Amino acid sequence: MDVFLQALALSFTPMAIASIGLGALVGLVFGSIPGLTFTVALALALPITFSMDPVPAIGLLLGTYIGGMTGGSVSAILLGIPGTPSAAATVLDGYPMTKQGKASIALGTAVIVSVFGGLFSLFIMMVSVDLVSRLAIGFGPAEIFALVLFGMSTICGLCGNSLLKGLIAGALGLMIMTVGLDAIDGVPRMTFGSINLLQGVNLLVAMIGLFAVPFIIEAFSGRGSQDLQTTRVAKVRAELPSLKLLFGKFSLMLRCSVLGTGIGAIPGTGGAIASFLAYDHAKRFSKKPESFGKGNIEGVIAPEAANNSVTGGTLIPLLSLGIPGDPATAIVLAGLMIHGITPGPALFMNHAVEVYGMYVAVVLAYVWVLGLQLMGIRIFVHVLKIPREMLAVAVLVLCAIGAYSIRNSAFDIYAMGAIGVLAYVLVAVRIPITPIILGMVLGPTLENEFRTAMMLSEGSFDIFLTSPTFLVFFALALLVVSLQVAAELKLKKKTSERIEMTDA
Amino acid sequence: MTNRAQDIIVGTVLFLVGAGWTWLVIDSIPPGFGDGEVGPRAFPMAFGLILTVFSAILLMTRIATGAETALAEASEDQDIPNRLDWGSALLVLGQIVLYGFLLEKIGFLLATPVVVLLVMIVSLRVRSLRKLLGMSLGLTVGCWLIFEKLLGIYLANGTWLNVG
Repeated sequence: MDVFLQALALSFTPMAIASIGLGALVGLVFGSIPGLTFTVALALALPITFSMDPVPAIGLLLGTYIGGMTGGSVSAILLGIPGTPSAAATVLDGYPMTKQGKASIALGTAVIVSVFGGLFSLFIMMVSVDLVSRLAIGFGPAEIFALVLFGMSTICGLCGNSLLKGLIAGALGLMIMTVGLDAIDGVPRMTFGSINLLQGVNLLVAMIGLFAVPFIIEAFSGRGSQDLQTTRVAKVRAELPSLKLLFGKFSLMLRCSVLGTGIGAIPGTGGAIASFLAYDHAKRFSKKPESFGKGNIEGVIAPEAANNSVTGGTLIPLLSLGIPGDPATAIVLAGLMIHGITPGPALFMNHAVEVYGMYVAVVLAYVWVLGLQLMGIRIFVHVLKIPREMLAVAVLVLCAIGAYSIRNSAFDIYAMGAIGVLAYVLVAVRIPITPIILGMVLGPTLENEFRTAMMLSEGSFDIFLTSPTFLVFFALALLVVSLQVAAELKLKKKTSERIEMTDA
Repeated sequence: MTNRAQDIIVGTVLFLVGAGWTWLVIDSIPPGFGDGEVGPRAFPMAFGLILTVFSAILLMTRIATGAETALAEASEDQDIPNRLDWGSALLVLGQIVLYGFLLEKIGFLLATPVVVLLVMIVSLRVRSLRKLLGMSLGLTVGCWLIFEKLLGIYLANGTWLNVG
């Protein structure tokens, strides 16, 4: 209780409340603009947090994440274009509702169920983070190695549309992080005598490059720009749904939130998969399945409850095991580490106050999102009218500020540019970015834990083979990969419609 | 260019990258001493080999499926692949590099309007004087106020020339 009160005190400072609000606002804006995802917002917001205290800093990042997840529904409902891939399922019924003149109620319902889904998943997260970290407290290097290996295999398998390309991307990410001084022996690796390369590729620089630069290039090349200016954004406000409607759909909201939290907890999945599954679920259990796609409010409730409950789900493996499930949580992880908070089983022992502060920050972020969406939607739809190219110019300046401020070195700006162009090329040739970033985040852990384990066992593989936990996770990793291979071989005969599944 | 042709090029390039990387690693990093010491070389080498093997698989499956679908004449290969706009990509890279260089030399307050003007004139072909001045001065002053003054983040000072 004492710890909780301390956490409350930390998160109710004016600075913390303001930074959570700023995060929620930035997230909502970035989330609602098609092409700019909340991952870009997070990458750009990260350098700002350096000078802050831990709780406001993490609050800013969480606010951005949560705001972005919610903001995607605005353009999905009003324009029929998902602001983020997570909101793609919301288009199916949200946009028809706008055409029928019911945009206000669709937006209001979307906000309410988003907040419900988010808070529900927060509750589940609070219980399970504690449980999972209690289980994981006994993990040694061999077990952590297996866990990271399992995380990597689900990420590579699930986030793209080809396992092979996912694995290739994962290997690329792992390779990039081996550049620089080796953490155990201090040997320079692949530095070619460059002093700048000795400390390796900076993770934050790489994140800004990977997510923001491809957006700039695409905006400048004049493609992919949906003519937003020509689409008239109707005059809207967010209208709260009646309590009767909410109570009537309560069981659907609950089921979709459970689904979203569960999907979110599996690394490599994410909002898009969860919201499509929830939409499908709602349609299957509906009394009037034929009305789906024609403006059924259930088709807005299901995906919005699910994609916001993903936010709590992804934080479970992140906080309890230190494994981020998607690029957004990888950036949150980087933010935590900058402030000396290392997620993992020991998190509660070392940083209980900050963790409870994070929980409070999530609640505050939802309060902000609710307020901003309900009050500010009329002002905020005008953001959708700003031309993409002008936003890209601003993003370019922000990228440079972000990359420069990390180490005050222009080398980082050059590196960001190079990585960004590489990312643009990789996206164009359909190699997913998510495994690269997660390979970069998890690579050093993977290597260090394996080498520590081998040192402990004096070179014998017994340390792995005698650990049941290792064997279970290793078997799970193999299972995920082989299931994915089987599914792809089956699918090869059919042509399938592709849906972009990441928020990268 | 079809998806298949694109994949074959990607597979070849990545195969060469993987093989080159592995060779460089073996050439330049000392191995461990044995006795449980895995050494700094093992992991970069393993990752390089993984990339080499997987891109080889990609290359081979694409060559093989391509032959089949050429007969069937209907497959996902008929999709129009994403077009790569090398011009824009390299232009943006050039602009970023120039920005980084200018930041160190003439500082944030001078480099930003110069680069923003350049980007808007060259990449976006904006000719309206109002837009050009508004964006370049607005962005510079706005960022300077928010980052330097409000958040206390250090923005570059120039070594050749320094304002602010």
